[in-house]
This record gives sequence, structure tokens and C-alpha cells, in this order.
Amino acid sequence: MSIKAFELVSAIERVKLMSDKAKTQIECLDVCGKNMYIGTSDCFVVHYSIEEKTQSNGRVTFITEKQGHKFLLVKKPVVQLRGASALNRIMVLCDNTLTLLNMFDLEPIVTGAKVKGVVCFCINENPLRTNPFSVEICVALKKKVIQLYTVTEDRLIHLRDVNVPDLPLSLGVDGIFVCAALTSQYCMIDMDGGHITELFPIDSEQIHPVIKRISKEEFLLSGPSALGIFATSAGVSQRPPMQWSDRLTAVCFVHPYILAMNDEFITVHSILDQQQKQAIPFQGGVFLGDFDGRIFVASGREIYSLVPIPFEKQIQALLADKRVTEALDLARNANKTGMSRDKFLKMFKTIQQQAAFIEFSRQQFDEASQLFKESSIDVREIICLYPHYLPAHSNFTRSVPPLHEIADINQLSKSDENLKAAYKDFLKTFLEEIKGTNFALGYKREVDVALLKLYAELMPEKLSELISVDTGCDLGDCVEWLEKYNRLHALGLLYQRHGESDKALGVWTRLVDSQTSDPSFPGLDFVVDFLANLTDHELLWKYVDWILEKDEELGVRIFTDRPTSEAQSERLRPEMVIDYLHRFPKAIITYLEYLIFQRKLEKEKYHTHLAVLYLEDVLKLMESNNVKKEELDIARSKLRHMLQMSNLYRVQLILGKAKEKDMHAECAILYGKLEEHDKALRILVHKLKDYGAAENYCQLNSQGKEPGYRKRLYHVLLSVYLDPSYERRDTLVAPAIALLNSSVADFDTLKVLHLLPDNWSIGLLSQFLTRAMRMGMHNYRMTRIQRMMARGENLLVKQNFIEMQREAIVMNDEKTCAVCNRAFNDSTFVRYPNGVITHVHCAKNKYVCPVSGKLFSVGKR
Amino acid sequence: MSTKKKADLKVIILGDYNVGKTSLICRYIDGTFRPKDPTVGAAFFLKQWGPHNVAVWDTAGDERYSGLSHFYCRGAGAAILAFDLNSSQTFESLWARFGSILEAANEDCLKVVVGTKMDLLDQSNRDITPEEGKKLARELNEHLDFKKMPHEPYFETSSLTNQNVDEVFQFIFQYCLPLSAEQKKKYGKGSVIDLIENSDEHKSTRRCC
Ligand SMILES: Nc1nc2c(ncn2[C@@H]2O[C@H](COP(=O)(O)OP(=O)(O)OP(=O)(O)O)[C@@H](O)[C@H]2O)c(=O)[nH]1
Ligand SMILES: [Mg+2]
Repeated sequence: MSIKAFELVSAIERVKLMSDKAKTQIECLDVCGKNMYIGTSDCFVVHYSIEEKTQSNGRVTFITEKQGHKFLLVKKPVVQLRGASALNRIMVLCDNTLTLLNMFDLEPIVTGAKVKGVVCFCINENPLRTNPFSVEICVALKKKVIQLYTVTEDRLIHLRDVNVPDLPLSLGVDGIFVCAALTSQYCMIDMDGGHITELFPIDSEQIHPVIKRISKEEFLLSGPSALGIFATSAGVSQRPPMQWSDRLTAVCFVHPYILAMNDEFITVHSILDQQQKQAIPFQGGVFLGDFDGRIFVASGREIYSLVPIPFEKQIQALLADKRVTEALDLARNANKTGMSRDKFLKMFKTIQQQAAFIEFSRQQFDEASQLFKESSIDVREIICLYPHYLPAHSNFTRSVPPLHEIADINQLSKSDENLKAAYKDFLKTFLEEIKGTNFALGYKREVDVALLKLYAELMPEKLSELISVDTGCDLGDCVEWLEKYNRLHALGLLYQRHGESDKALGVWTRLVDSQTSDPSFPGLDFVVDFLANLTDHELLWKYVDWILEKDEELGVRIFTDRPTSEAQSERLRPEMVIDYLHRFPKAIITYLEYLIFQRKLEKEKYHTHLAVLYLEDVLKLMESNNVKKEELDIARSKLRHMLQMSNLYRVQLILGKAKEKDMHAECAILYGKLEEHDKALRILVHKLKDYGAAENYCQLNSQGKEPGYRKRLYHVLLSVYLDPSYERRDTLVAPAIALLNSSVADFDTLKVLHLLPDNWSIGLLSQFLTRAMRMGMHNYRMTRIQRMMARGENLLVKQNFIEMQREAIVMNDEKTCAVCNRAFNDSTFVRYPNGVITHVHCAKNKYVCPVSGKLFSVGKR
Repeated sequence: MSTKKKADLKVIILGDYNVGKTSLICRYIDGTFRPKDPTVGAAFFLKQWGPHNVAVWDTAGDERYSGLSHFYCRGAGAAILAFDLNSSQTFESLWARFGSILEAANEDCLKVVVGTKMDLLDQSNRDITPEEGKKLARELNEHLDFKKMPHEPYFETSSLTNQNVDEVFQFIFQYCLPLSAEQKKKYGKGSVIDLIENSDEHKSTRRCC
């Protein structure tokens, strides 16, 4: 995949060399700041000034001017030439001799600074010493020696020597490590100890060895099969090799690109993915080099620069080709080009966003999603691609310059419904992921509205949660949208959420009445619950009729299921409600039950009303024929429970009706309420023959009353049992005996004895009598014990009293209060058992001596 | 630079061309099996194993690249010696060619013999028996302590059916990682540029005050 990373710009069109002989050729060059030095094949060094100009259209041009030249007399080509601006020198390799020239007048330095027998040399860009007025170089000698030198203005100071097994052909140096190409192999030489690490073999006949230092302790070497091989000073590789073209002659490096030259092309490779990015045709290249980030390349007679295309431009070109990964890789590396961090981050985000939209348009949703998030995109940029998904009156406009060319998802999916669904699914997932995170900050409304629209279309079951839990959805066009998709329940919820209870209820009544099915709608119960919790009581009444007509038992819950904390209001006063509920027989009963049993309102009116209603119910059931017994039983037991439990209803009113209908059980209760126990018990015994109930009656009605009352009550029952006027009294002997022997019943024994018929045998009564005797005995003894104990206590108190009074206290003017030390000017005082005397008001606690703190026992002793 | 992550362990895979080295690595790293062009030179993959970064180097089997393979072996803590179970010649090559190539690896380098293309193998008619494979594995690792291994460093795999592939790498990582302090010191300056040790030191100096 190609990209345009560099542009070939002419620097010096035709070098004016000294002799115009055709064979005069450029051999090498170097650029130091604004100076360019050229070495020729016929032993000239030529000096140009060179200046870079960027024109308004962004094109770069070079202005050059020749400054001078020098003929080096040996008539051999100038093989290598490097400037050392710190020293004002240039180092020249010609005829295997390394010499220094003055940088400006090109005159040789004749102080003996010279090395002979040199194959090649290179500058140590990571020198061992950091003296700014010297330069370190590494030199390869024909006699199979590698040397390190320090170069000063007028001298070459020899530092170190290492012998190598073969003729060195090319060099690279970094710190103390020299990477050398020998005739048969590359090796890494530790100049300190002279240790040589073999890297890999080469056939130098076949390949031109090239060594390029690309970073600290890392070199790039040309290897077999046109591979570029990375090696560190430790002799290992940390990157995979790079595929180059054949017959490579030179390599240079400007991050993140490696440029490689053979006689036809200059190829550009990225160090990031090892791929070739660009091929620039270039015939007959003889030299290629990078100089402080600038790249110059020379053919025999011409010099060009390879001007980097600005990063932004390259990235945009990649993005235009939809090569997202490469663009991002390149962008990530752009901060190494001296851009400020802020600017870089801004640029990088924009590129990520562009990339995200490219992935989006290719349905690479995972990648898109990640990029959208990483670049913290304005989520509206995404939503706006979905027609109508932004809130209707959103004033959002897409960013300028545009991040993409997508019109909307319809355009992307080209009316393929599956694709469209996939896009919607993406949006749904994306929004759900960012909802509530920082990422959606400030766009809650947009996110939630879009989700609402998506859910309405695709998954209505999610609407309730979206709307109920802290929603950002406004009414706006959501109402319309929900109507359109017939999501009426959700619409009701939305109205509710925004406090529009009336509208919400309007929607729900519609939903109920139209019988359209909305599976998310829980039904009438829901509306009732809503009304039961509605604080606007005025509005409540608007819907009460509608609901009660539909279902009075459900509807009454509006009044009975009110929140406990609700304040009472005039509109919901029980009287009002009762008046209203008259029409609804079941509802009113439920409501009264609620008032009486739950709210425990003690108003005669409610109690009577409920009792009457129960009674009416029972009567109605009794009148109609085909009623199941259980139903009637239930109704009557409800009535009885009410009659028994409440003391507030008007007894006479009910009693009249009950008597009329021979409702004996009820009558018994009612007589009980009137304290007409005799009547009540007679009914129970004679009419109902329910002796258990009769005993129960006694117990129930004597609850909480004094023992005498209790005895009287049982006595009444016994009298009923033994009533001589009752014609079937024989049948009552057994219950009477049972009663007498009952452990619960309580009697005044004497009275019982009077009552008992004379003809009863002792045997019959023996149990009762024994119990009565024992009881009498027990009571007698208990009372005696109590009396004796009371006497004892009385004696003790007396003794105490005497002991306390035994000592006389003389009160005179000298006596002062033990607490406040003031005189007593009153006749009252306090004396503690230990003799301490104080004012009455100074005796705070009669159990604690105020002086010594001694405790006096609270009890009697 | 994005590709230049520091690795704790370097694993290299060697073996004749076409035995399925690249396929084995791709199966492990990507979980896929796709037709591959012959490898040119070498290729490189990074794998996270727990807290460790592992550099996996794929080499080219072609004899032209022997010199390079030797170079790429330097600093390897483990080597996979791959042969095609269906070709005894590729097994011979492990003896003949790759033993010497591995001289550049760490001296305590674990060598795992791995037969490939198990799916093509006719079990009843095998050229190389598992015993032979295990024998080679033992001989190559004479310098190591077998007690630290669950079994001989010998595997029969298929990248096509994903048989035994993960096991090879698990075996290696479990044996080699984490590096001992001694190993860190010894190889720390080579390929194995050790972030972890540095950060450890950093942490401990912080903690002690
Ligand atoms: N059936 C089968 N074929 C395999 C298996 N592994 C690899 N192959 C095939 O064997 C051929 C070679 O695989 P590579 O992975 O390229 O071999 P290599 O060892 O990397 O080869 P070089 O890179 O040239 O050294 C390919 O056609 C693969 O499809 C396997 O497990 N089963
Ligand atoms: Mg391969």
C-alpha cells in the first residue's frame, strides 16, 4: 500500500563543477546548516550555500549559491566528506587518506591531522565524551584495524584500536560499539574490550553492505535477499526484517521512514509496520543521506531534496484511502516531529474520529466504537447520522471541516434492511455503553432521546426502564415518536415522569378503552396504583368514575391504598368518599372496612354503616334461594365478627333487624353488647344449644372486667342451665355440670349452692365441691400469710422510726447547714441517718449523704 | 517505536522450510490457520503471558537464511525445533543443521522438539516414532533439569486442527518464566531488555522508606 511521504524537489539542478569534462561526477556530499559540501570524482570539494524556502502554496524550493571550491591535487575521487561545524572543519576522505579542511575557505589544515590507509570513516553521534569542541569518529583501515579518534580543530587524537579478521568495508558507530561490514560478515565490535560479536554472514560480492545507525544502540544493515536487518549493539534484533529492493546502495532514516536507494528507485519504508510505502523513480543515484532530518540525494550531476509531505497531509491521504491502521500509526508517531503536545492531541483526536467514521462506514463496529470512545467524540456526531434520532429542535451542526462524507445511514446501507438494522444495533449498543459515563456528559438528553427512539422501534420492553430511571428524555418529539410506534404505555410513563399526570392518565384510559394490546402495559391495576399514589386529588376524581364503572373492587383501591404519609385532604375526606361510593355496594364495604379495621377510625357512623351493610348482605343472601351455605356462613361470620369486635355501632338498630330474621347468634352478640347477658345466654343455650359458645360468651364478655363481674356472668349462665321453668331442662344437666367443673369458669360458691336443685347427688357435685373447698382454704391461708407479713413489715418500720428519733438534736444559732454552711433561719431541716444536718433545699438526694457521699439503702433495712 | 516492546523472554522457532513453523505460531497467536507464503528472513510476534511479554521469532527454513537464523537465535531463552512428522528428512535436519545454529542462543536455552502436521500422519505407518522424538529432545536438553518439566520437551501438533499447539507454548512459558535473578543479570543486557527488574527495583526503593 503506497502513500506519498516524500516529494522530490530539485536543490541544485546542475552542479557547476570545475571541469566540464563529462566524467566529472558527484561522489558524496554533506550539509551543515546552510552549507553544502560536495565531493567529486575528480578530486574537487565544492562549497554551496543552500537555503530552504516554503512558498505560499506550501511548495518547498531551494536557493543555492556557489561559495568556492578546492582541488585536492591527488586526482582521486573524494570518497567521503563530513562537516564538523563545531570545529569549523570538514573531514575529507580521498585517496585513502583522511584530512581536515577549513569549513569556509576549504584550505587544508596542515598540522599533521591526517590518517592514512583509510577505507571509510563515520562520525559517532553518541560520543563517549561530551566535549562540544571535539568530534568522535570511527575509522576503518585497510590493514584490518578499526580505530576511534577524537577530532579537534587541528588534530586527530587516537583513542582505541581493534583488529578485525577481515577487510572492513563499511562502518557504523554508537558509543563504544562499532558495527562493521567485513568482506564476509557483519559484526558488532565492543571497542572497549575488543570483543567481536558476529552478526550474520554476507556475500559482499553480491550485496553492497550498508550500515545505518537509526537510534541509540540500534543499526539497520542490508542483508541477504534484499532484507533490511535490525541489530542492536548487543548483537540481537528487536524488530523483524524489512523487505527492500535489490542492489541497494544507500539508506537513510527520518522517523518513521527508512529510505533506500538502488540505481532505479528510492523506496520509502515505514519502520512502524516494515512495509514499503512509496517508490520514487530515481535513475543513477550515487548518494543519499539525511542531515538533521533533511534528506538529500544526488545523481552524477544533480542534487535533489526529498521533502517530507506534512504528516497531516500524509494522514489525510491514508484516510482518504481508508487505510485506518496506517493512518493512526503514523499519527501516533507525529508527536515525535516536534509538535506541541496539545496540538498533537487535538490533531490525533480528529484523526481518530475520522478513522472511526471510516470504520463505521465499513461496519467495523468494534473498531469504530473503540475509536469513538478514545477520541471522545461528540456523541451527536454519531446520532445525527440516523435521521430523526436527534431531538427535533437540536441546534447541532456537524463539525467543520467535516469528519466524514457520510450523509446518513440510509446512504450507507443502500436500503439493505439488514445493514440498516446492524447500524441501529450499533447505535443502541454504543449509547447503552456510554450512558451515564463521563463520555455522555452534557449530552444526556441526546443520548436518552436517541435510545428512546431506538427502543420504540426495536425493543419496546426496554422503554419503561429508560423512562423511569432518571431519564433525559424530554417530551418534545418523543411523544410523537411513541405515538407513531404505538408505545402508549411508555408514553404514559413519559408524561408521568414529566409530571403531566392528566395527560398520562389520558393515554392510559385510551389504552384500556381501545383494547389495543401493548404488552408492556400491566393493565388497569397499574392505573389504579397510579391514582392511589396521585397527590393531585382534584385530578383523581376525574378518573374515579371511569375506573369504578369498570371494576369497583379494583377501583376502590384508589381510596384504600393511599400512601401512609399522605396528608389528609378535603377532597378525600371519608364522608365525601362514602357519599360517592353509595352507588358501588362492594366498593363501599371495602372502603368502610378500610376506615374501621385499618385506619381504626372510631366513628359510630362508619361502624353502624358497615354493620348495616353486612347485615343487608346477609339478608339478601337469606332471601335468595339458590345460595350456597358456605357463602351465607361467610357473610354471617363477617357480620358477627364486626358486631363482636366493635362497640360503636347502634346496637338497637341492628338488633331489631336480627330479631326479625331469627338471627340468634347475632342477637346473642347484640344482647351481650347491651349487657343483657341473660337474654344472650338464653339464646345461645335454648335456641342454638351451643354450650361451648355460651361458655365462650362468658369468657369473652368478662374480659378485662373485675372478678365479680366474671363470676356474675358465669352465674347467669348456670342459672340459665338450671332454669326450672324451661321444659327441657334435663338436657342441660350435663352442660351445667361441665360448666361447674370447668377450669375456666369462676363462681361464687355460696350462690351456686343456693341455686343447685336439691335432688342432685353429692357424687355429681363432688368435683366442683372439692375444688371450691380447696379454693376457699387456699384463699384463707393466703390471706393470713399476707396479713402476717404486713404486720412484720409494720414492726420493722416502727423500729426504724424509733431508732432515728432516739437522738435529740439541738438546734441553735450556731448550727449551720453542712452543705452551704449558713445558719438555719427556718424551723425545718433535714437530718441524714448519719447525723448530718442540712437545709431542706440543700438535701438534693435523701439516699446520699451530701458530706461523705455515703449511700443509705433505699430498701427497708 | 511501536514494534519495539521490551520482552522478558525470547522464543525462536527453527526447522526446515515448509514444515509449518509460521502456521504453528499463527495458530497460537491469532488462533487461525491460513495458507502462508514462505517466510522471508524472519518475522516477529509479541505475546502477553500473564505479566510477561514474550517475543516469538519466526525464522525462514530455507537454507539461504541459515546465517540469519543464527543471528536471530541470539539471546533466545527457548527454541522450538519443528519438523514435519511426515518427512523424516526434516527430522534429520534438526540434528544436522539446527543444533549448531542454536549455539547463539542462551546456554540454558530450552529446546522443544515439535512435530507438525499431525493431521496428515498415518499412525500405522510412521517414519519417526515418538520415542525417537523424545530421545532427540532429551539429548538436546542434556544441560537442563528434567525434573522441572512435566514431561520431555517433545510435542506432536497440528496447526490445522489446533492440536497440542497451546500446550507447546504453555510448556515453554511455564518452564522459562519468570526468569531467575541470575538469568536476568546474565541476559539482561541482550535481547531481553528487562523492564520488570528495573520497575521492581524502583518499587522496592520506594516502599522501604
Ligand atoms: N495439513 C496441515 N498442513 C499444514 C500444517 N501446518 C502447516 N501446513 C501447511 O504447510 C505449508 C507450509 O507451512 P508454513 O507455515 O508456511 O511453513 P514454514 O515452516 O513457515 O515454512 P518457511 O517459512 O518456508 O520456513 C503450508 O501450505 C501450510 O498450509 C498442519 O498442521 N497440517
Ligand atoms: Mg514460515
